[in-house]
Amino acid sequence: MDDKQLRELMDYIAASNFGEFELTRDGFRLRLVKATPAGAAVDGVPPASLVPRPAAAPVAAEPAISPAAIPPEQGLEVIHSPMVGTFFRAPNPNADPFVEAGDRIDPGQVICIIEAMKLMNEIEADRAGEIVDILVANGQPVEFGEALFRIRPRV
Amino acid sequence: MFRKILIANRGEIALRILWACKDLGVRTVAVHSQADTDSLHVKFADEDVCVGPPRSKDSYLNISSIIAAAEITDADAIHPGYGFLAESAHFAEVSEACGITFIGPSPEIIRQMGDKVRARQTVAAAGVPVLPGSDGPVPGPEEALHLASDIGYPVILKAVAGGGGRGMRIVRDEEEMVRSFEVARLEAKGAFDVADVYLEKYLEHPRHIEFQLMGDKHGNLIQLGERDCSIQRRHQKLVEESPSPALSPELRAQMAEAALLAGRAVSYHSAGTIEFLLDEDTGRFYFIEMNTRIQVEHPVTEMVTRLDLVKEQILVAAGERLSVRQDEVRFHGAAIECRINAEDPETFAPSPGLITSFHLPGGPGIRVDTAAYPEYRVPPFYDSLIAKMITHGNSRREALTRMKRCLEVTVIEGIRTNLALHQRILSDPEFQAGRFNTRFLEKYFVPADLARKAD
Repeated sequence: MDDKQLRELMDYIAASNFGEFELTRDGFRLRLVKATPAGAAVDGVPPASLVPRPAAAPVAAEPAISPAAIPPEQGLEVIHSPMVGTFFRAPNPNADPFVEAGDRIDPGQVICIIEAMKLMNEIEADRAGEIVDILVANGQPVEFGEALFRIRPRV
Repeated sequence: MFRKILIANRGEIALRILWACKDLGVRTVAVHSQADTDSLHVKFADEDVCVGPPRSKDSYLNISSIIAAAEITDADAIHPGYGFLAESAHFAEVSEACGITFIGPSPEIIRQMGDKVRARQTVAAAGVPVLPGSDGPVPGPEEALHLASDIGYPVILKAVAGGGGRGMRIVRDEEEMVRSFEVARLEAKGAFDVADVYLEKYLEHPRHIEFQLMGDKHGNLIQLGERDCSIQRRHQKLVEESPSPALSPELRAQMAEAALLAGRAVSYHSAGTIEFLLDEDTGRFYFIEMNTRIQVEHPVTEMVTRLDLVKEQILVAAGERLSVRQDEVRFHGAAIECRINAEDPETFAPSPGLITSFHLPGGPGIRVDTAAYPEYRVPPFYDSLIAKMITHGNSRREALTRMKRCLEVTVIEGIRTNLALHQRILSDPEFQAGRFNTRFLEKYFVPADLARKAD
């Protein structure tokens, strides 16, 4: 999906009755969440957020275009994948996830695992905040720079 | 045969490999750095994975990232292209350990031929002529003086760990040897972290002639003729052609046989190149090194042999036999390649930036391998090669005429290129007559202060 198609889709959703829209196609997942009036975020979901996740993640692209891909509203920030591999939310299939949406995180806290070359790499939060959204499904491949979590930073 | 190949490279060679995969009906995975998101190899591959930030060290040279990319995309082979990880025995080993076929020779072969001293010993033992010199690192100035007087000056001191034209020092007499030996060791230590240097006879006006080899995993090895790569600047090749205007049929047959001996010495498989220096005064030639990968200038050989070397390389990696026997190889006409670099034609400083207009030549006998396009931004992080112009003709003269036409109608604006330098070389009567050696380009670049003195 190119930028033009994306904008058209956003306009279409904006004009529709949908509150949320999700599209999955060939390893590409796109989720659009419509802004609620008066900026009142429903259960922590930010307004007008746009989290495209094509194979070539725009969030991983040069700084000139990344601000467009990351929601600037409400000072939300994105934690990106530091490596290529497979994303896991829990230390093993039977364990609870490291974090859920709404959890507070602290720097150094393990928030997920990325498996690369049979090694389980524990990924730690690099800042304090609250998990707003987990952008990748358990077991999904991620590339370098791919957006993993949206957080509301704590100052 | 492979289902899906990961291409661990960028630029024109990534596209070249992509074309071979498409012709073979194999699916492809492109890897790229954050600086190459808009590259053609990313656009045209079936899948793509960002493997790191712009700097090569963190992306195209990042072995764990690239292997992880192959794992998440379920690729069953990796083509390393040239440069980056192409001659990393470690990378080849890790790939194989992860169950992914490395499209190239075995790690043992890469190791054996990658170490210059070991390679020299290996081929010399097989009966391939090497330049007279030390059998290994020279321990001290006394030994260097002794050896150099045996061989005869000039000699060259080379860093054991050096390569790519760096870490060399020419020594012309005893006095200079006394002064230079420790300096060469210090330079080697500084540049490559290993102080060891070895010593070789220095040829003043050699031609650089290399032979293309291709082998399969069933013990078949063939040679596909030579490429004359004598037009170089600071050991960087600029123009390559096949056949070489310098070889008689007899000399060509001798050199081809020596190249096969060198390849057989390590039971070589995949595409590889044996490089020789040819001393035209004596008609003697000497092995200098082997490149255990596909090379930049491989299209020259493809044009005269009508073989697809990258396809062949993929097929033999998958365990197939060579598609041709030696006695089936035919050589047709002549081919020449000019490397178009994004660089300042005077200072040779890289000239990255936005290509505002880009027009490529076409017509009979012309092939262009490039990953550039109008509005493409040449990133500052990688090498400056932006296009390879290759022309073919029934004779050398026809190939050269077509190259002149090719260069005349090429338009690249927005960045600086060496197009004008190539036009100058092509118009040079000495070049046209085939009379040139590795010092050819020096006459074009007399340092400004020397030129002033001469006035």
